[in-house]
Amino acid sequence: MKTEYIFFWTAVALYGVSTFSYIFGLIARYEKLFTVGLYSALGGFLPHTLAIAVRWKTGGIEPFITISESITFGAFVAVLIFLVFQFSTKKVKPLGVLIMPVTFVLLGWAGTLMKDVATQIAPALQSWWLWVHIIGATSGFGSVLAAAGLGLMYLLKEKKPGGIYDKLPELQDLDNLSYRFIAGGFIMYGLMIISGAYWSNTVKGNYWNWDPVEVWSLISWLIYGIYLHLRITFAWRGSKLAWYALIALVVMIVSYWGVPFSMETFHSGFRIEH
Amino acid sequence: MILQKLYKFLSSYKLAMALLVIILACCVVGVTVWREAEAGRIIFGTLWFNGLLVLLVVNVACCFFPRMWGRRMTLVSFGMILFHLSFVAILGGIIYNSLFYFRGIIRLTEGEVIPSSEMQSYDAIDKGRFFSFSRLNGETTLIKMHTGYKVKGEDKRAAYEVAVGEANNRTHGILYITNKLTHRGVDYFNDKEGYSLLVILSDKQGQELHGAHIPLQSLVLGKDHVEYSTGYKDNGVVKKDVVPFPGLPERPLFALKTEYLPSKLKERGGEVMFQLLSLDENGSPVRDRPLAEGKAGVGEAFAAGEYLLTAKEVRYWVGMMVRYEPGQPIVLASLWAGLAGMIITFIGRMRQSRK
Repeated sequence: MKTEYIFFWTAVALYGVSTFSYIFGLIARYEKLFTVGLYSALGGFLPHTLAIAVRWKTGGIEPFITISESITFGAFVAVLIFLVFQFSTKKVKPLGVLIMPVTFVLLGWAGTLMKDVATQIAPALQSWWLWVHIIGATSGFGSVLAAAGLGLMYLLKEKKPGGIYDKLPELQDLDNLSYRFIAGGFIMYGLMIISGAYWSNTVKGNYWNWDPVEVWSLISWLIYGIYLHLRITFAWRGSKLAWYALIALVVMIVSYWGVPFSMETFHSGFRIEH
Repeated sequence: MILQKLYKFLSSYKLAMALLVIILACCVVGVTVWREAEAGRIIFGTLWFNGLLVLLVVNVACCFFPRMWGRRMTLVSFGMILFHLSFVAILGGIIYNSLFYFRGIIRLTEGEVIPSSEMQSYDAIDKGRFFSFSRLNGETTLIKMHTGYKVKGEDKRAAYEVAVGEANNRTHGILYITNKLTHRGVDYFNDKEGYSLLVILSDKQGQELHGAHIPLQSLVLGKDHVEYSTGYKDNGVVKKDVVPFPGLPERPLFALKTEYLPSKLKERGGEVMFQLLSLDENGSPVRDRPLAEGKAGVGEAFAAGEYLLTAKEVRYWVGMMVRYEPGQPIVLASLWAGLAGMIITFIGRMRQSRK
């Protein structure tokens, strides 16, 4: 078995341990399992990083070109944001109950789609805009995933006060934290769209063509734009926005990985008919 | 009174929200129920949808700026102004561009020189009401098509060496997929390329009667399996077909189908398959009984009845997109301004909440 695959599947296994620790911790209301979940996530993050590094070194090209690479990198950034947040604030211990299952499933899915490493990148993608685009997309996803996780914490605390939920921050703080992550995700998605527009302008001379992938990215952006308007202009707070963040996450996953690679667009395996 | 009501309507937050939701719904329908060209025809390219976008920008302007007027400038308000202003600037850029733009597709064979300012030089043209062809003065020349072109070790595959302009104001350069050529604000982008055969018609004594470059279409049949043939593209699908030969305005003698089989050993070498069909009184090819068919190497003659046909040489043809988009820099700069506005607002709000 290749070294890359060993690292990769070790990461998947540890994320699996993390996922079940969080879920059982929540069901059993046993806080120590959250700690196990967090450290399993940290333990999985190391081989996850190594799997990406090995692939990058072997192929010599950016490790986010194919669908499995894109999902792997997206999951990587999502876990990174989660770990940085958890270790820097230590405020929301059960947060991984949404983030780790999503990451675990995504990474497992990426594993089933994995192909041999490519050594050449399509000429159209030989642009540093690709980096900006990917960083915008992945960190945007990581942010809104964390926001949805915080939304879930809000709903759980609101519905079942007491026990482990008492150790969570106040509802208003959870609401504010979720809002901040959404605002950050909105900015990063903006960066993703703008860098995509610049890349398109460099290659094709037009920055927007209502291509399905462009429209899906606009949908994601509009969804979070509406969230921000509802909060700032219409003063929405609390459970309504928490539900909104959770539902928006589903749209996000569809638009991010479901659509671009399943239909004939310039994102389909990142090909350009030429 | 009516103006007041109109202003009240345009400056309503509820209108902004309704427009955002409607545009979002249109986008969802435009990627699920209908897609791509159909979605463009039914939704994204329509007047009503673009009207919604314009209305949103007008609403943003009416809603936001009067409310900000006279307020103390904070980091948050500055960021919000920048963000909302960028929408107005984007609309301005799009409107300006729509009046003066030019988009054309020009096709040339290596060595060919085409007048840039004549409409007949382009396969397709789209232009704004006030675009002046004088901007395209001069000629466009395809000097050479380079395959396997490398820049700093990176394979760019196809690169076009092109010269554009007049004798005293000429731009010469190499363009490839991530590198355009710009002359007098007009951008040239690489689009597609293919083989072109220089086919010579001679009599039995070898006296040359006619010669023409015949562009070939490429049919991708699988990985590393491409066929190059005369034909046409129908809705993006290549169909093999004959071409009249000699071509118009001369009187065609027959219909000719050629297929090029490139040599793997010699660049621009290989074999050419010929098929000649007679023409009926209406000039249509009689397809059931070919006059002649066979194969000859590049540079070798193929005997076809009273004539000889020779694929004398293989050249490349290229298709380039020619674009003049004067409003684009405004739009692209506004996008960054909008992003900067978002970031400044975010930082401002973080600082406010810390206080």
